[in-house]
Amino acid sequence: MSGMQRLIVVVAGIALLGLFSFSAPAMMNDYFVRILTVMCINAMLVVSMGLANGFTGVFSLGHVGFVGVGAYVSGVLSLSASAKASYLPDLPAWIAGLHLSFLSSTIVAGLVCVVLAFLVGAPLMRLSGHFVSVATLGFLIIVNVVLINADDYTRGARTFTGVPLQTTFPWAMGWLLLALVVLARIVYSPKGRAWRAVREDTIAAQAIGIDVLPTRLSAFVIGAFFAGAGGSLYGHYLGSFSPAGFYFAYTFSLISMLVIGGMQSMTGAVVGVIIVSILSELLRNLERGFDLGVVAVPPLYGASQIVLGIIFILIMIFRPSGVMGDLELSFGRIAALLHKGRKE
Amino acid sequence: MKLTRRTVLGSAVVAGLAIASGPLARPAAAQETIKIGAPFNVTGALSSVDAPALNGAKVKVKEINDAGGVLGKKLELVIYDTKTDPTVIAATASQLINQDKVPVGLGFTDSDSALALGPIFQTAGVPFVTPGATSPKLPDQIGTDMFLACFGDNVQAAAGAEFVLGKLGGKTVYLLRDNSTEYTTLLAKYFKEAYLHGGGQIVLEDNYKAGDKSFTAQITKLKALSPKPDVLYVAAQPDDIGLVVKQMRQAGLTQPIVGGDGYDTPLLLSVGGKAANNVYFSTHAYMAEDSTPAIVTFYKAYKAAYNTPPENAFAALGYDTVGLVADAISRAGSTDSAKIRDALAATQGYKGITGSISYAGDSRVPQKTVSIIGVKDDKLYLAAEVTPNWIPKP
Repeated sequence: MSGMQRLIVVVAGIALLGLFSFSAPAMMNDYFVRILTVMCINAMLVVSMGLANGFTGVFSLGHVGFVGVGAYVSGVLSLSASAKASYLPDLPAWIAGLHLSFLSSTIVAGLVCVVLAFLVGAPLMRLSGHFVSVATLGFLIIVNVVLINADDYTRGARTFTGVPLQTTFPWAMGWLLLALVVLARIVYSPKGRAWRAVREDTIAAQAIGIDVLPTRLSAFVIGAFFAGAGGSLYGHYLGSFSPAGFYFAYTFSLISMLVIGGMQSMTGAVVGVIIVSILSELLRNLERGFDLGVVAVPPLYGASQIVLGIIFILIMIFRPSGVMGDLELSFGRIAALLHKGRKE
Repeated sequence: MKLTRRTVLGSAVVAGLAIASGPLARPAAAQETIKIGAPFNVTGALSSVDAPALNGAKVKVKEINDAGGVLGKKLELVIYDTKTDPTVIAATASQLINQDKVPVGLGFTDSDSALALGPIFQTAGVPFVTPGATSPKLPDQIGTDMFLACFGDNVQAAAGAEFVLGKLGGKTVYLLRDNSTEYTTLLAKYFKEAYLHGGGQIVLEDNYKAGDKSFTAQITKLKALSPKPDVLYVAAQPDDIGLVVKQMRQAGLTQPIVGGDGYDTPLLLSVGGKAANNVYFSTHAYMAEDSTPAIVTFYKAYKAAYNTPPENAFAALGYDTVGLVADAISRAGSTDSAKIRDALAATQGYKGITGSISYAGDSRVPQKTVSIIGVKDDKLYLAAEVTPNWIPKP
């Protein structure tokens, strides 16, 4: 396939998804639109998490820290002046008077996370293996403690509420597509190859002139931007959230999506989100009990978590590197599949 | 067809989808019912309070249906487990409104969950009554469709303060709060306001976080205090209270420990054990066989249905909330959401087992009497009934 054809297919695909996201609310009920919206947000978070965790081999547990920072920063910025006066009376005057639109507060949230990731990453990205996981876990804990204690800005442990509900399906889809296009350009460029070289063998990478620290740091910082922006989308989707929401439970939920899909592939990240989201929604509805005519199953609340856990274990046994492994859905692969299909 | 891994996987997926589409496409029940949305955190951190509330609600629904239902129709609770997860709560809220098309909903015993669901019900114009989310700010944060069936935290904190000053004669208090949730921070804030207003003195304030397993740091500071505080007020979540009490007693602190309705969980006695003696907490009703006749009747019905006595007052609140909603539906004479809302707002003197419920003026938080429960000889007893004289502003 020539470059031109490829471009046309990509543009057409994006246009189609865009059209779908705008027409979805008319085609299906709000419940499904909400599920899809959350899937887009989570996909963006998991794909950006995969940069450091999958491609660069820096298994960070701090990603959700950036998501939390993003949610709070954008929340403070996009609250209306009157809501600020009633919920956050002790804000410094310059922030209290500031009111940004959804888009600009999301971008600011991303940029704040970039700065933060740079400050945190510069010392931490020197570490490898388990050490970096524990250190980034420390970052997550610090973010949580700061969110709880910076009362004047975050309402502390009390629910941060009154954030305008502006994350619609088109917004979430738009940000996801942007993240996918931008990240795909980087991951499959010389920069991305440097990331993978560092992951596979640090010493060999250094021997061919790759500077390990800046390489890891770049993956960490770029991931943090989209984590912050995704946090803003999440905050504007829920409208109210508290520090407890951006902690271990959410971290492990995102990690399980990444690991199940395949850490070393962007397609895998998206596939992981789709599998985990759809399974947990289906199981959540199933556990309410059902009647097949022959057998009636009573409600078993909590069963969905157990079944989900078992499915995860099975996937890890049969596909230890995730559903996709390091495979990407690419034009060459689709063409090959079509060709094979025709032969059979 | 050869039985390859792929075909097995494929047929498993198809079978799964077929089963899953069952409940989604479940046809409406043969006879028409009045649906009431009932999202509860049956699993997760809040299950020890949400599950009894849901069970209590089911008892009342059965009672009403056995007596002929409302407006000639049976009530049907549309139950979902929301897993103490705000994204699941938001999805469930939308599911209840758009798929199940419930005209009214009830559920939750904490403010965070109610805040995640509220805006979606409010936008759809569907009224929602929470049995146990005690933040008095909730109706103002969400809007005209949100109602409380319980008193606000400002009322129970004020009752606690008056109890400490009066019955316990506590002039000085040590205040410990879990600073990671809305409920505990507000409760501590209201208690402080009411206690200072009543002339008490707070000698030290300290914090911990939900899920902490060791309270050594806080206890060391507390033990170093001189003179010793008369009473310890601890604003805690259900999950932590047993452990807090146990570690304080092990450290040799014998003062009365006082708190809010977060203590009203079996965990206080099961985890705290002997350490729980001399603990007092404010809650919605005293659940025991020597309580008021209405509670005793409920106690027996609950025990018959679930083989266990009601775990705490939230069971009674769940029961009352269904009664309150059913009363509003019958007074509205219709299952139209707007009419049910107006009937709910006009509720005057609904006789619940946790007290009488009236919404005065524009307020959607009822004024109710607070029960103070104490622990003596490893057993709960009714220490006082308090209607506070001075209540802090929400």
